Amino acid sequence: MKLLPRIKSMTNAAITLEHVSVELGGHKIIDDVSCQIDSGYLTAIMGPNGTGKTTLLHAILGLLPFTGNIRFNRQLSSRRPRIGYVPQNVDLDRGSPVTVGDFLAVGFAKRPLWMGIHRQIEAEIKKVLERVGVLVVYNLPLGKISGGELQRVLLAQALLGKPEILLLDEPTAAVDISGEALFCELLEEVHNDLKLTTILVTHDLSVVAAHAHNVLCLNHSLICAGPTKDMLTKENLMRVFSPHTELFLQQHNHTLPDNKGNHESSD
Amino acid sequence: MNLLTDLLSGLMPFDWLEPAFMRRALIGMLFIAPACAAMGVQVVSFRMAFFSDAISHSAFTGVALGLIFGINSHWTMVGFGVLVGCGVLVFSRKAVLSTDTVIGVFFAAVVALGIVIVSARRGLSRYFESVLFGDILAIDSNELWIMFFLFLLVFLFQAIGYNKLLLISLHSPLAHSRGIKPARWEIAYGILLAFLVMISLRAVGLLLVTALLVVPAAAARNLARSGSGLIWWSVLIATISAGVGLFLSYIWGSATGATVILVSVFFFICSYLIRLVMGR
Repeated sequence: MKLLPRIKSMTNAAITLEHVSVELGGHKIIDDVSCQIDSGYLTAIMGPNGTGKTTLLHAILGLLPFTGNIRFNRQLSSRRPRIGYVPQNVDLDRGSPVTVGDFLAVGFAKRPLWMGIHRQIEAEIKKVLERVGVLVVYNLPLGKISGGELQRVLLAQALLGKPEILLLDEPTAAVDISGEALFCELLEEVHNDLKLTTILVTHDLSVVAAHAHNVLCLNHSLICAGPTKDMLTKENLMRVFSPHTELFLQQHNHTLPDNKGNHESSD
Repeated sequence: MNLLTDLLSGLMPFDWLEPAFMRRALIGMLFIAPACAAMGVQVVSFRMAFFSDAISHSAFTGVALGLIFGINSHWTMVGFGVLVGCGVLVFSRKAVLSTDTVIGVFFAAVVALGIVIVSARRGLSRYFESVLFGDILAIDSNELWIMFFLFLLVFLFQAIGYNKLLLISLHSPLAHSRGIKPARWEIAYGILLAFLVMISLRAVGLLLVTALLVVPAAAARNLARSGSGLIWWSVLIATISAGVGLFLSYIWGSATGATVILVSVFFFICSYLIRLVMGR
């Protein structure tokens, strides 16, 4: 049997993927991916567009049929862990009067929205919105907030479920560079506070280099897996991104930021 | 139900509610219109108006099958409509075609089948006027009971499912990550909607039943300032339209269903103007 690549052998694996393959419409999108994702760390799934990153995330979420095994650490919980999910694109109905508060409440409140939001739920929602810095949008219609605010609201909804694992799918795809930097800083703050196992899907090398502790390089199959510092080598990047790599290396003057080797595990 | 009709004549001693059939019609409309308005909120958010149209247009075939096989045609109509609804839901999930294409195929099939049956057996055509335009004034006590239970079922479903369906309509994978099964909820909603459409046909007819679902909910979107306001505005507009429409149809001697829909369209226009004035 193929040896599973481990990202860090000293920590617990929150998620173990064993020979995971996903086939959609006769095309193999994910091809025999085996790896472990460390508990309490921020792991980036990196690769160009259309190479199966989102598909792998959807397989972990259980949204797609796959072959192989995806196992969650039973020390985290005896059942399937609570997963907070920040999707890539939320195609909002701009004319809908549904407010940010409504959107956050419907995922958690048992009482139907038309009977009102319970005060305790409202207080919890406002607390999380304050944590991500967008309390002011609570009463605004979801279709009227900016892309940056929407990303924070989506992060808030993921955090409201008190997740054990946080999955983010290209969270900064719809915001500008300054918005991206602010969101990534917020994500790192939240991660450091809560020590959540976080998986971040991105095609943005600078986000990976600046914020991820570990990285999985994906191009339909697993190209490399390990600590960011060790994995972001010219050879690996050429294998994952090929034509885009030279550009990145030129822009960053052949240097890559330090990885987060001093991060403490929550285990 | 007799108690309810007697109570109504005591509470509202109007001339137009003097005949028992008018009282039954009002009670029937007050069960059906709010139920349609509540379900209409999701018809609008899931863009299911065409789905509702396809189901209602299967009524011809459903009634014809009942008449041919000598079974109660009300039940064959409801049964066939729900069957068509299930067919659309299953095929649109399995097929590679888009949902509206699948519905278009079903729509064509049921309408063509209905016309073929009716045209081949000429004696059947006289049964279809009430299917086309509805006949709320002719409902009996048993039908009122069915409308009452459907009213309860719809609001029970909305109490359990409103939040889940709202999240599914906003982002289905996100709902899934919250432990909601979007497929199960969409199918359950579709089947209940199919039932409601077929029962509501009796009130407004197949041509206008979708309006009973869509118009109050569309007006509610113009007026509501939150997700909770949507259902209340929709139900309020539908209920007032039902009462006012029934009254006006009595005065004008017009078709009840169409008059009710016309009143709700008037409310929609008002709501649109209010939205324009408020600058929202």
